[in-house]
Amino acid sequence: MSRRALGLLLAALLRAGPAAAQLPQFLGSVDLGIARQHFQSAYPGGAESLAGALMYGQVGISVNPVAVDVSYAQGRLASSTASAAARSVVEASVMVSGRVTPWLLLKAGPHLRAYSAPGSTERWAMWELHAHADEPVITGVLAAYLEGWVAFTSSANVDPGASGARGGEAGVTMRIPGSLFWARLGYAVDRSSLKGGARTEALQSVLVSIGLGGR
Amino acid sequence: MRPARLAAAAAVLALALAGAARAQNPAAQVTHGITAYQNLDYDSAAVLLRAALAVPGPTALTDSDRVRALVYLGATELYRDRRDTAAALFGRLLRIDPRYHIDQLVFPPEVSGLFQQVRLITRAVAVVVPADTEIGGGRDVLSIRMYAATFHPIDVAVLRPGGARVRSVYEGNVGDSLQVTWDGRATDGSPVDSGRYLLQADSRGADGHVVRSVAIPLTISRVKRDTLPLPAPPAASLFKPEHRPGGNGVRGAVAGAAGVIAVLALPSLVAGGFHPSTDRLLVAAGFGVAGVLGFHAQRGPQPIFENIAANRTLRLTWQHQVDSVHAQNVARRSEVRLKVHAGPLQILGTP
Repeated sequence: MSRRALGLLLAALLRAGPAAAQLPQFLGSVDLGIARQHFQSAYPGGAESLAGALMYGQVGISVNPVAVDVSYAQGRLASSTASAAARSVVEASVMVSGRVTPWLLLKAGPHLRAYSAPGSTERWAMWELHAHADEPVITGVLAAYLEGWVAFTSSANVDPGASGARGGEAGVTMRIPGSLFWARLGYAVDRSSLKGGARTEALQSVLVSIGLGGR
Repeated sequence: MRPARLAAAAAVLALALAGAARAQNPAAQVTHGITAYQNLDYDSAAVLLRAALAVPGPTALTDSDRVRALVYLGATELYRDRRDTAAALFGRLLRIDPRYHIDQLVFPPEVSGLFQQVRLITRAVAVVVPADTEIGGGRDVLSIRMYAATFHPIDVAVLRPGGARVRSVYEGNVGDSLQVTWDGRATDGSPVDSGRYLLQADSRGADGHVVRSVAIPLTISRVKRDTLPLPAPPAASLFKPEHRPGGNGVRGAVAGAAGVIAVLALPSLVAGGFHPSTDRLLVAAGFGVAGVLGFHAQRGPQPIFENIAANRTLRLTWQHQVDSVHAQNVARRSEVRLKVHAGPLQILGTP
């Protein structure tokens, strides 16, 4: 079921390419940044809260009309509540994207997340579909973007298993005209749940990054 | 009495032949002389060939006919038992054409043998240069080829008509042939001025004295190279518009405001029930600033950066072409080119 859905999605992305009406063009980009993360978890009878910082990196290759982005983030969350244990967090994703309209980009791919605490590691694997819209605020200099995503399949190594995840992100990018450098300020939030309401987690991030390259 | 009569008859015949010969065209006399030689009538051949060689002025023999007359006359004199005269005639021939080789299918071994002996002691060179040469830019040179009758030392120099030496081109020995070049420059290294010059080759004898000189008149003119035309600037139609008309700024303001709302609303929309992070207010403020900036920026003409970059590339490409042509024209203006016209070879003194 999930593979079929992914196949249909990729086909849609590839079909969406010609809408950009551009000749194939190879572009690459590198994006490095730091994220301030706030993790909250709620379960029957309790809640926990952690916060920390992650280093973030992303490499993208674009061959119109398709682009591939590989991202990786790693950091440590410290407990904000007495009951929560500090843990390391690692995230990785591979997203294949295609521009459907000049302002709308569709992305899909796997997203892995792991929280590692002494004695246990909680792992999540999600196949996500993202819709990313952007709008120039100052042409060629400043743009706003808004992104929403949903996991069309998800799994976790925690009983009773994952029931789903969704998220969103909004931010601004600024590019120096005529330069390959750009900067990004964004806010992302996502929610993931275990089956039967056993637990719900929310992760909020404020991301600042510097990028190099054309997209 | 009988010998006296015979001598008188021969004298009358010779006078008659000489008179007839004078009345003929020199080239025809050469032909008749060669016929007489082939008919073993050496006396008649000698008279006819000498008469042809003696004709001066505009009707004189061409060099090729002169050479032909001299080789047959030399052979004739050899058969008339006048070996020294024959050697002198062959020497004279070689001074006119040092490259001449006797045809051993036409002349018997005693003739060709004597000719080769004379060749070995005749110090003469023929000089050949192209009729027109252009020298300049440090690339081209005047190519001078010399052909010698025999191995001997020569001096080759470019002289003023008055004899002043402009540049020594070669001093040394020449064997069968030799090629030397002249770059159009005087001894001080500067290109020579326009004017008339002589390219002179002196053959030296065993004692070091000049035994024969040949010269080729050179007419040299300085020419300037044409400068290249500057490339035309790109046509206006090739430039793309660099700005699009501005709006009322609402779009930028709306984008900023929408971003603020999105950042504020996202926690409720996505993760309702959790405490929203106050860190996100930083991003909301960023959207607010972007909206204000966008509102102001969108009210004026909007730059089209891709077009601005494309137009800049177009201008730079044209400017590079202009700079390149300028540089080439500067080089062309400073470059002295010489047109060299070479006249016919002249043998200085009596050959």
